[in-house]
Amino acid sequence: MTRSAGGITQESSPSAGVTLTVESLSVHYGGVCAVSSISFVVGQGQAVGIIGANGAGKTSTLKALMGLVPRSGGRIRLGTHDLNKVAPHEMVRHGVGYVPEGRHVFAGLPVEKNLLLGAYARAWGKETDQALAEVYELFPVLGEMRGRLSGALSGGQQQMLAIGRALMARPRLLLLDEPSMGLGPKLVDDILRVLLRLRQDGLSLLLVEQNAKLAFEATSDCLVMENGKVAMTGPAAELRHDTRVRRIYLGL
Amino acid sequence: MRYRVGALALLAVAAWVLPYRLDLYAVHVVDVAIVFALLAVGLGLAMGIAGQINLAQIAFFGVGAYTTAILTTRAGLGFWPAAAVAIVAASLTGLLVGLPALRVQSHYLGIVTLGLALAFVNWITNAAVAGGAEGISAVPVPPLFGIDLASEYLYYYLELIAFAVALAFGLFVVRTPLGRRMRAMRDDPLAAAAVGAEVPLLRMTAFVLASVYGGLAGILYAGLIRYVAPETFSIANMFLLLAMVIIGGRRSLVGCVVGALGLSLIREALADFATFAQLAYGIVVVLTVVFAPTGLAGIPARVRDALRHHRRYAAESATLQPFQPFDPAPEASTVRPAVPVLEIRNLSKRFRGLKALDNVSLIVAAGDIRGIVGPNGSGKTTLFNVVSGLYKATGGQVLLDGEVVSGTRPYRLSRLGVARTFQNLRLFGNLTVHENLLVALDRTPTRSIWRYALWQVGVWRHDHELRRQADELAARFGLENFVEAPPGALPYGIQRRIEIARAMASSPRLLLLDEPAAGLNGEEVRQLAEIVRSIRDSGVTVVLIEHNMGLVMSLCERITVLASGAVIAEGTPAEVAGTPAVIEAYLGDSAIVDAAEPITSESAG
Amino acid sequence: MQVFFQTLVGGLSLGAIYALVAMGFSLVYRTMGLVNFAHADVVTIGAYVASTFYLSARLPFVLAMAVAIVVTGCIGVVIERVLRPLENKDFDLMLIGTIGFGIVLQALAIMVWGATGHAVPSPIRTVPLEVFGVHIRTYDLVVLAVAGAAMLALVQFLQRTKRGAAMQAVAMDHEAATAVGIHVGRSNAIGFSIGAGLAALAGGLAGPLLYVSPTMGASLGIKGFAAAILGGFGSIPGAIIGGLAIGVLDAFAAGRFQGYSELVTFLVFTAIIMIRPTGVFGEKTVNRA
Repeated sequence: MTRSAGGITQESSPSAGVTLTVESLSVHYGGVCAVSSISFVVGQGQAVGIIGANGAGKTSTLKALMGLVPRSGGRIRLGTHDLNKVAPHEMVRHGVGYVPEGRHVFAGLPVEKNLLLGAYARAWGKETDQALAEVYELFPVLGEMRGRLSGALSGGQQQMLAIGRALMARPRLLLLDEPSMGLGPKLVDDILRVLLRLRQDGLSLLLVEQNAKLAFEATSDCLVMENGKVAMTGPAAELRHDTRVRRIYLGL
Repeated sequence: MRYRVGALALLAVAAWVLPYRLDLYAVHVVDVAIVFALLAVGLGLAMGIAGQINLAQIAFFGVGAYTTAILTTRAGLGFWPAAAVAIVAASLTGLLVGLPALRVQSHYLGIVTLGLALAFVNWITNAAVAGGAEGISAVPVPPLFGIDLASEYLYYYLELIAFAVALAFGLFVVRTPLGRRMRAMRDDPLAAAAVGAEVPLLRMTAFVLASVYGGLAGILYAGLIRYVAPETFSIANMFLLLAMVIIGGRRSLVGCVVGALGLSLIREALADFATFAQLAYGIVVVLTVVFAPTGLAGIPARVRDALRHHRRYAAESATLQPFQPFDPAPEASTVRPAVPVLEIRNLSKRFRGLKALDNVSLIVAAGDIRGIVGPNGSGKTTLFNVVSGLYKATGGQVLLDGEVVSGTRPYRLSRLGVARTFQNLRLFGNLTVHENLLVALDRTPTRSIWRYALWQVGVWRHDHELRRQADELAARFGLENFVEAPPGALPYGIQRRIEIARAMASSPRLLLLDEPAAGLNGEEVRQLAEIVRSIRDSGVTVVLIEHNMGLVMSLCERITVLASGAVIAEGTPAEVAGTPAVIEAYLGDSAIVDAAEPITSESAG
Repeated sequence: MQVFFQTLVGGLSLGAIYALVAMGFSLVYRTMGLVNFAHADVVTIGAYVASTFYLSARLPFVLAMAVAIVVTGCIGVVIERVLRPLENKDFDLMLIGTIGFGIVLQALAIMVWGATGHAVPSPIRTVPLEVFGVHIRTYDLVVLAVAGAAMLALVQFLQRTKRGAAMQAVAMDHEAATAVGIHVGRSNAIGFSIGAGLAALAGGLAGPLLYVSPTMGASLGIKGFAAAILGGFGSIPGAIIGGLAIGVLDAFAAGRFQGYSELVTFLVFTAIIMIRPTGVFGEKTVNRA
């Protein structure tokens, strides 16, 4: 176990991240096509963003990856593993961490319990204690509030908690759904810093965001979704200067 | 139609001659079965039609039977006067049981009604006037113009007539505005309130109806057996009744009858194996609930669906017709009145520490199409929910045409002329499209329920008028090919249009549309814009929340932008699109604007 | 005064039984948001199994109870598994499903053990204690002790163990729970079987106090349910308080109103529910229906 600079201990493999390959993913909800046969790759240790207006299908994509909504088509591979038949509650054992849109912390439980539950898939003991320590190091405010009911935390703190909870399982791929939602600019900055640090540690990231700026700064490549399809892809650095992005968002 | 009348006539004749083929014991069994069928109809009305868990039905049965028995044997009343009092007593009990339904639902209601049923059994087992555990015997034979009703054969005809009338009335209620409102309330109380259904009163009504049927069943029972004892009104029998209704199909009154008659007869056939019978119907209840929730009555529909291989209803024959624009409002009313249709003053809404709305103020003048936009979580739907009465504001006021309406319940707001659609589509899934429209078209206040008791012709006429209006409305929105379909089977775009049609059914002056374009393709969005413009031209003020910026920019005259619960910009589309604060709220950085082309006249939409 | 205390003691020990029943209800409600109408009949089965193994098989009372708990635990698993498709989809139907199971269980009880029932002698044959002229049977103290121990064990389970935390998490947020690796259905099954086990404990302990019959569960169940609601549905300590309160209320009502005690209990309960639906401890950990 080597302790890298970012503080998140890696497994004894050279890099923590893993490649996610998505082919022709489709999602239908009762007659509506939310995601229409999209394909993309998140490389080992790479951070990819999915941006687009509301209703574009971004959240549906993440939920479909986790199996929380049924996929009507497509294949998902993590590294060499075929994830198509993996049940939603097993995804975490395959190394996929998930930070849901709207945080979804266990409001009636204290912060520390929330974090420990993040490591549900592992035995609770020394290892989880260590993971806990690392999460507190990454998010000092959580350490201060460890005994508080998580429902009493502010939006930004809950977001930190949701990310920390997902990290407790030592994921190799982290899916984040609109972590900046409802947060002010300073908190969004904090989130950005956390994401950059996770990138540094070699974690593969798939970030869904309505806040395009955050996505451009946190990721290396982005997909722009519109009406369930991928309208544009490209390096973040290029997309941020592309007027077509603004047009897709603001309808101009 | 003719087929139905013929079948009914055949059934009536068969029912009339039935006793001639049966021996005394069999007639007795049938007589008891009819009593249970009556009970089942009452339970079906409360549970299946109105969606109220009613485990006190057996108590209503008991009140009817015991009141009759007590008054005839202890107070010396004649049978029929006693029966009249019994019905009143049963309805009062229904009112009493309905009171908790105003505050609690689902399992709480289940336990309260069950508890009251147990309390009733407890009382009759102990009270001296009720004869204690031995019950009351020697209830006199009901006198009827010299007909000897001690004969079970003749009693059968009394029951048959009473049952036929009761069932007919039940079906009448179900197929007319009251029944539809109850069914809408069952499917979605929120949406029902939004289209004008006064939910609490409807719940009470359901219980009173159930209790009247229960009371009637009790009276007939008392007159038939002429002996009442606590065992008949036990919880075990309540669960048996429940099983009848579930297995038969609680949503269909005829299903309830079939379940009751069927289970009664089977129970009788298995009288020697009573416990096995109980085991069997318990298992069937579980299986029904898991595999066939609509019961026996739902089987024809399921067979039909299976044969259709789940084909989409919008097959070759059923297509969406073009929208027919509303007649524009006469000139006089388009002169803007001084008072704005909607005024929101310093509105705040907190949810346990989270500030969803922060001092929001806005004014919508009559005849405007106003857009409300903003990133996810900015409070748009919360704003709608406060204006339409679903939430109570923590601060500030909402004024409709100058009158303060903050805190008004949704159904009342609907009567005042506020209509809305919902972000996640809230159509009444178990009603047809036609019925969805009918519910919203019904503008009568709940107190007009008295007409059901005393002036059924008025109800019938009203229903006809509503149907005519519904046909018109459906035609206007191009839905005439879909009116008999359940909305859930239809394509999404059509469902969205149905919801708008339903909202317009209440002839509102203010229409709130929550993300009407979500999930629509380009052509459908274009049609939506045309519909909204026509609605406005007919004199309705429209406020819409949208994420489809192209639609907002082209449709709305003014736009209000919300972010983090507060208004950050307001103005014409062009003004708003160029405001850095707006761009920052959406894209996270107004700097993106600088790096991009300046807004030219063509991109201003 | 002596009568008062005597009634109080009697009420407390029966109240401890109600509390155990209430805990089972509350646990299932807290973790699944479901009111299990079959709970009462599970109590009956528990009472029968425990008393049968104690009387006929001559097992030590504690062992007989253990067997009863295992049997009812399995019943709980079966009920959850069968009704799983309805979980989170249609509460009313699920409720009716549990009623159906209740009917089945009661029929099974009659088929296996007959309709008449039997009395169970107290497993503790010591002389009752005399405190200030009030007779306190040792068995009553045992019942109270067991109820208290069960409550502590349950609270410890929910607060301190991984499974317990998982069960609470599932009640709060299905999706997030799934995302961290909790199998919602299995977690619910465990909750259900623990609840059923508590029902067996209640039924087994109630054997020597009441008459074991196919309908004993109904009365115990209803009062246990009332106790759970009174204490605040979903609250384990609330279940104890509610149980003891209902037990005492019942005992005094029986003294005053004799046969009408159930009626009185019910009216009091309905009144309280109307005024304060969330009960004394007013917990609303599960926001359903």
